[in-house]
Amino acid sequence: MIDCREAVRRMWAYLDHELGARPVSEFEAHLETCQRCCGELEFSRHLREVVADKPGALPVPPELRSRIEILLANPNEPTEGPA
Amino acid sequence: MAIAVEPSATRSGGRTPRPLATHELPPFAEIARAHLDRLYGFCVRLTSDPSDAEDLVQETLLRAMRAYGGLREPSRAKGWLFTIATNAWRDLARARGREVVTIPLNALDPDGDEFSLFQTIAIEDPFPYSDELHLDFLRLFRDDDIRAVFGSITPVFRMPLILTVVHGFSCKEAAAILEVPLGTLLSRLHRGRKQLERGLWDYAVSNGLVTTTDEERP
Repeated sequence: MIDCREAVRRMWAYLDHELGARPVSEFEAHLETCQRCCGELEFSRHLREVVADKPGALPVPPELRSRIEILLANPNEPTEGPA
Repeated sequence: MAIAVEPSATRSGGRTPRPLATHELPPFAEIARAHLDRLYGFCVRLTSDPSDAEDLVQETLLRAMRAYGGLREPSRAKGWLFTIATNAWRDLARARGREVVTIPLNALDPDGDEFSLFQTIAIEDPFPYSDELHLDFLRLFRDDDIRAVFGSITPVFRMPLILTVVHGFSCKEAAAILEVPLGTLLSRLHRGRKQLERGLWDYAVSNGLVTTTDEERP
């Protein structure tokens, strides 16, 4: 039986479906007996959503986009890289 | 300088797919445009500096263009580009005399690993009349607030969070992109999450978003 500390360590991996079968069953067995960790799991789920909700993509500034288009249009002449 | 290739294709331990012949690949420009906004977003978070991010995007695309023939699976181009960006950032930082920050484990705040935002909210009870104490806490944060907190996380712990939670890579893929063993990635992910939790609490307190038990309530 794992303790609360270990359960908390596994929490996000559990939410990410990154745990193997045995760690999952140990984790879920712990949840059956621990109301506090059930609450923390629910909170972690929401916290993860708050973070995941931030867009991974950001709009490329127009000037950079222009430079990239020039680069892509002239693949054999990539001259102006970063300093 | 070695150019990284698609991590999943080389490190998964499974059968390595043969590289597609160049004529079977879509034009590089097509791949680049499809992933450009995500690549830029990744570079902004990697460098924490818009100007550095612009340099890094260009350098990444230059390297990727040269190495494009080695891309085995176009469907995994995003991870391939992120790997190149990570390597390019290390090289750029080194060339400027700045090493990408790595933190020895024994230099870490020993209390940081134990901090529990869930427990802290319950103990401090910043919304005494709320039925949804923990959710009310999360509702306090706007996008800018989250971005500020994220920026305060040590980069070496922030990147696993960004790759897995924001960009949706598996832990195995994130480990390959960052070129660290899976166990290291998982440990950094845990520490990044703990820094995020502490960062959210500290940010809420220092910006007056919550009133703690140490302060007088009206």
